[in-house]
Amino acid sequence: MRDFIRVAIGILAAFLFYTIFSRISPFFLLFFNIFSLVVFYFAVEKGEIFGSCLGAACGLLQDYFSFGIYGVAGLAKTISGYLAGYISKKIDVQPPIRNFFLLMLFSFELVLWALLYSFIIPETLNTGGGLILFQPLITAFLGIISFFLLRKIKKNKY
Amino acid sequence: MPLFLKERKNLTILIALIFFHFFLISMQVPLGENASVFEKTVFSVFSPIRHGVLSFFKGIGNIWKNYFHLRNVQNQNEEMKEEIFYLRQENNLLRNALERFRSEREIEENLLAMHENILPAQVIGLDPSNYYKSVIINRGTLDGIKRNMVVLDKNGNLVGRIIDSISLKEARVQLITDNESGISVFTQMKRVQGILKGDGKGQCLMQYVLATTRPEEISEGEDVITSGYDRIYPLGIRVGRILLIASDASLHKHIIVEPYFDFRFLDQIAVIMKDPKELFKD
Repeated sequence: MRDFIRVAIGILAAFLFYTIFSRISPFFLLFFNIFSLVVFYFAVEKGEIFGSCLGAACGLLQDYFSFGIYGVAGLAKTISGYLAGYISKKIDVQPPIRNFFLLMLFSFELVLWALLYSFIIPETLNTGGGLILFQPLITAFLGIISFFLLRKIKKNKY
Repeated sequence: MPLFLKERKNLTILIALIFFHFFLISMQVPLGENASVFEKTVFSVFSPIRHGVLSFFKGIGNIWKNYFHLRNVQNQNEEMKEEIFYLRQENNLLRNALERFRSEREIEENLLAMHENILPAQVIGLDPSNYYKSVIINRGTLDGIKRNMVVLDKNGNLVGRIIDSISLKEARVQLITDNESGISVFTQMKRVQGILKGDGKGQCLMQYVLATTRPEEISEGEDVITSGYDRIYPLGIRVGRILLIASDASLHKHIIVEPYFDFRFLDQIAVIMKDPKELFKD
């Protein structure tokens, strides 16, 4: 029960961030993907099934914000959530390996999303002059900071 | 449970989720530009939450602005901004009417009519696959938004048209830079006609201008305005400026038009609330 409350808070926080940032400027949504952070965090902690289910939920929420085709981000996040959970069970994803793992996973998700989009809508994907390519890097950077802070909070708590 | 059975179960769940997404995607593809029932349902569910969040933060922002900082100046400023917004729209829409030497009385009537038919709106989202294609605005069926209503930027330049009301408070606008858009236009000076189409990369192409058109009839830097022949966009809305004219072996000239609306500053836009059917019934 406690886990579900944590997940709900995580999703709600991501939803709030997305709402606020999309209001400030829709371009913010190109730079980082806060839903991926939530999926990654819980997938590593809870395993692949949790990761894929949460990925599906967060992906659909992201699709809601992006006004594109429903299911594209959902599918990309389901697969990457599953992978995050699966790989974290097989190898120890602690810093600094985790930082690299984060970057690789976010890059994989972006590539998967772009491929799916190009496949469904046969047009050239607009990368915002290449700005979208920074998304994995910025998201990973934000992930490193936020996970570090979360660890600190946890340590202080116990 | 043995590990291999557990992994099999996990894989089954993953495959089920993947199929669910494929099903979801396939449900939407045949509908083209129209939103699916699923999409509309999701919008209806999340829109109130989203609007609630935005209103909450807007409310906090307003308290700070209005009660702690320059309360009166702020109000005045807002009023003046709104007035400028309407004046710009009116000015632009009536510029062409003036050129055609309409009587002063007629212009005044138009001005009054226009003021009543402008609805300010804000862009709240864009299409991530190609953000020169469409945007989402914070007005929907509840505000009287209908398909094909014309959308202008805050300076009165053409942005696009409403293609779909997604929810009660949200609608999708097709931008003129979308490669699936088409607008009947002519040049401002010599009225050379053409069809304006987006290139999907932020600029537009003016098509079907014959290669035999003389250089004194059409030139680079000239304004392009709507002609009204498509029966969607009213006559005389500023669209863009001719950036480049090139001729090759084909029958038509290759003309690149740079839209006047600036994508980066699409914070406030105006929807002309007149139904195109009413606009063109005369």
